[in-house]
Amino acid sequence: MMTGLIGFLLTIVIYLTAKRLYRYRPIMLFSPILFTPLLLVVLLLCAQIPYADYNEGGKWLAYMLQPATIAFAVPLYKHYPLLKKHAAQIMISVVSGSAVAVISSAVLALLLHTDQQVLYSLLPRSITTPIAMNVSQMIGGVPSITAVLVLMTGVLGSIIGPYIIAYLRISDDIARGVLLGTSAHGAGTSKAFEISPISGTVSSISMIVAALVTQLVATIVMSS
Amino acid sequence: MKRLIIIAGQVAFFILMSVLMNLLVSALGWKIPGSILGMFVVFFLLQAKILRLEWIETGAAWLLAELLLFFIPPSVGIVSYQSLMLHEGLQIVLIIVIGTAFVMVCSGLIAQSISKRKGHTRS
Repeated sequence: MMTGLIGFLLTIVIYLTAKRLYRYRPIMLFSPILFTPLLLVVLLLCAQIPYADYNEGGKWLAYMLQPATIAFAVPLYKHYPLLKKHAAQIMISVVSGSAVAVISSAVLALLLHTDQQVLYSLLPRSITTPIAMNVSQMIGGVPSITAVLVLMTGVLGSIIGPYIIAYLRISDDIARGVLLGTSAHGAGTSKAFEISPISGTVSSISMIVAALVTQLVATIVMSS
Repeated sequence: MKRLIIIAGQVAFFILMSVLMNLLVSALGWKIPGSILGMFVVFFLLQAKILRLEWIETGAAWLLAELLLFFIPPSVGIVSYQSLMLHEGLQIVLIIVIGTAFVMVCSGLIAQSISKRKGHTRS
């Protein structure tokens, strides 16, 4: 109980510190989404605290992902005319991106000879956690491993996203949003909101479309 | 101080919504998460002018700004998979980085090329 409370407070303190650090020295290591979990993992390992004890407090922060997902309705509403205008463009790009996500995971996992359980758990890694865990269960993966892989995808994706945007010279706000939301769900969307409100909104809708399409395809494939 | 109370109240609205939507989804036996349904419901309420934007806008902005914080505890869950990460961690990181790069290049370039044909969108 006490560990949970300390874990809860420590998570917030480290996160705020990392945010400040990152403002002064914007290097990858200090980005809050990498620095905070890394430091917490080191602390848990050194102090030999089981994850379950830490998560007694941590789960309350994680729960906030759900109200935050609902909050995406606000930018969606504000930019609805723009989204409607670009609906076809967003759909086509997100559906192709989602297909690439599943296929590339499968091909790379086969090439690198991962465990079969890991392969199935990897397939839905680009989509938002609750739906990814759902899909993982359906296709024979391990939902809790999928949850970790989804989060790793979010963390790594929001780090490499800006480099890929710069490298490919993607200057269009809609394309930037599609790129981040399709590949790195909520974490990517958070990055997209740093770029512009339009990119962020397009990213949130891309994240939702990617999740729904992946779940739909998985349902069809598994029941046929 | 006043701003803090406004944020807290509006965030409480979103928390309440998520509790209600989770109950609804499990009562109906639907397969989509309550939060996704909740987003559609709030969007609809805004469109129908039942909810006014200014009643929830500040709270929503706060939740979205601090989104990364909420990702942290589940990411720390990686410590529960030490042996998996020791044995296959490098492969897994490679798969995720290369795979994610593929997804980004593909979705980004397709969206950009469609935009170019239709004219640029910049904020």
